Amino acid sequence: MKETRMVRGLMVLVLLVFAVSAHAGEVYKLGFSGAITGPTSDAGNPLSKGIEDWFKYVNDTKMLGDDKIECTIRDDQYKTDVTKRNFEEYLDEGIVFYLNYSTGSTLGLKMDFEEEMMPTVPSSYHEGNLVNSNYIFIPVATYSENMVALAEYVTKNHKGGTPKVALFIHPSAFGRGPVDDTKKAVAAGLDMDIVEVVEHGKDLDNSAMLKRLMSKGVQYVICHTVQSPVATMLKDAMRLNVNAKSFGEEGKLTFLGAHYTGGADLIALAGDAAEGFLWTCSYNLTTEDNEKSKKQLELAKKYGRDDKAANSHNYAAGILQAQIPTEAILRAKKAGLEVNPENLTKMLNDMANGFDSFATVGPVTYSKDDHVGVDVVNIYKADGGVFKAINSIESEYMKKLRAGM
Amino acid sequence: MVYFFQIVVSGIVVGSIYALAALGLVLVYKSSRVANFAHGQIIAAGAFITYFLTVDLGVPIFFSFLASMVITFFLAMSVERIFLRRLIGEPIISVIMVTIGLASIIDGLIYLTPFGTENFSFPAFLPTTPLTIAGVSISWTQLVGVIITFILIGGFSWFFKKSTVGISMRAVSDDQFGSMSVGISVPRVFGLAWATAGLSAAAAGCIIGNITGLNFDTLHAFGIVVFPVVILGGLDSIMGAVVAGIIMGLIQQFATGYLDGNWGLNGTGDVAPYIVLLIILLFKPHGLFGIHEIERV
Repeated sequence: MKETRMVRGLMVLVLLVFAVSAHAGEVYKLGFSGAITGPTSDAGNPLSKGIEDWFKYVNDTKMLGDDKIECTIRDDQYKTDVTKRNFEEYLDEGIVFYLNYSTGSTLGLKMDFEEEMMPTVPSSYHEGNLVNSNYIFIPVATYSENMVALAEYVTKNHKGGTPKVALFIHPSAFGRGPVDDTKKAVAAGLDMDIVEVVEHGKDLDNSAMLKRLMSKGVQYVICHTVQSPVATMLKDAMRLNVNAKSFGEEGKLTFLGAHYTGGADLIALAGDAAEGFLWTCSYNLTTEDNEKSKKQLELAKKYGRDDKAANSHNYAAGILQAQIPTEAILRAKKAGLEVNPENLTKMLNDMANGFDSFATVGPVTYSKDDHVGVDVVNIYKADGGVFKAINSIESEYMKKLRAGM
Repeated sequence: MVYFFQIVVSGIVVGSIYALAALGLVLVYKSSRVANFAHGQIIAAGAFITYFLTVDLGVPIFFSFLASMVITFFLAMSVERIFLRRLIGEPIISVIMVTIGLASIIDGLIYLTPFGTENFSFPAFLPTTPLTIAGVSISWTQLVGVIITFILIGGFSWFFKKSTVGISMRAVSDDQFGSMSVGISVPRVFGLAWATAGLSAAAAGCIIGNITGLNFDTLHAFGIVVFPVVILGGLDSIMGAVVAGIIMGLIQQFATGYLDGNWGLNGTGDVAPYIVLLIILLFKPHGLFGIHEIERV
């Protein structure tokens, strides 16, 4: 009698354990490798916080029901060899989706993503990521789209003849990438004269370069680099009194820049010299004070982030980078499919009816032929120490270039 | 002509700052024959200490600047005491490897703070309107940077030539065993060399940070950027660092002003100083002011 009771009790216990484990749901493993320290970590650090916070939010609010996302975040210090090691370890752990960071490592690991058939969202918006790639999904408009959009903005708003432009770029694959596309856009009919392409170094004084550009009649400088060299150049331009007070002011230089050139960091570094700087970005800024920015600030507050991280467009970039796989998982579950790399790739390729993110200025859409999420960029202008949206633009010429004219 | 003179002024400004940043390398080499690969990290640390004192503790920037030089003086002295003192008498390559390790350790420590990953800038404390004479302009930041550079370099030159401690440091540089035999404390001299290098690095960090903004990667890169200056001037010559710094600054600015953008050339401002460096070293392998040692066996 006693033995029978014990056996029954044991059976009930086993059933309970099974029931609890069945109720606990699935755990989907993801991995992120990025520059949390080291070069470019001023962008990578808040970006990683955005990723971390969004996945915490997904799990805390039971967005996936009983299922959970477990995203391992590792620092690669901007070193491609470390990124590769991280990626390989993530594969061993059985990830279903991968988040990468730099242009160099995304280009370097592109074939690995193909071989492993691993859907990947990088923080790099380099157009070259899309060449011969089926598994890389860029979150927002590419660097080329940003730069060509700025060039289009210049040609539309310039008065009097063909605008003379200099491109001020980072001396790397990241910096050089959009130059060819801008030149192609000019060859395709964009009415602009690219007088010079300047690859900057670690310059303490840009007087010689700025004077040279002025002597060649340059009117606009479009930058594609990071904030620090742009800030030094803007301060020198203000000292030499060659910076335009209004767009296209005659005899002066109007400065514009793509994605990583602007934001709160530029204003922190350049101060008053940043006033009037025009900057493209696909992310919604918290200085816009709209519903979207309120959601971003709430998320940051919920997870105890400081003001600097909460208001960073790189924090928004991290949120979006995490929202993309979350959306793919939600859609796979809704379709009754197993959550694995193959099905998540399929979900993204079928995401023509995209989703709205509070982090961005436009909807996130993908298709088999279009692996760029948000196509629109906002043009922000530095005004009174903050960037304010003045326009929204989608590059027409990049569409033409991608369509092969 | 304004264009030409603007480039001359910019070249002198950039060159002077290079000279100041190079000074710390020269000071350490002059006494211990060691190339310090952690110099850039000390430059960055000096700039961040000044920022922290000014912005977070509200200390007036002039006193923060002085305090950061004092702090890095003792910081560098401690580094020498803890990590390098025990390597006296060991092969130079071992000491150089330790400085590379030190650079990694300081990197790691700075990455633990917000300074490792965020951008900052010093609050404006100088007039923003530049000084302009006959169309040639120089910002107050640059002018003050140049003045501080020449004060420090003048001070160190006097120190090494006239003061007893400075002469004993030169003696240690020439012959460690000979110096010990006349009662000079070699460990003390090494400590002092590192300390003075730390002091000059802090000054360089503040001046560079005031121009470029405070970004760790940008700041610590200057520890490497100024190596050609030290090699051109002669590894153990303060005057060499000044002359080579200004030569490098002028070549860089003239190449940027007159070569870049013409005949398909680009980035010559970064390359030209190295080409000139190689040519000069072909004729003067010890640099412009370096000591040519003759060993007789």
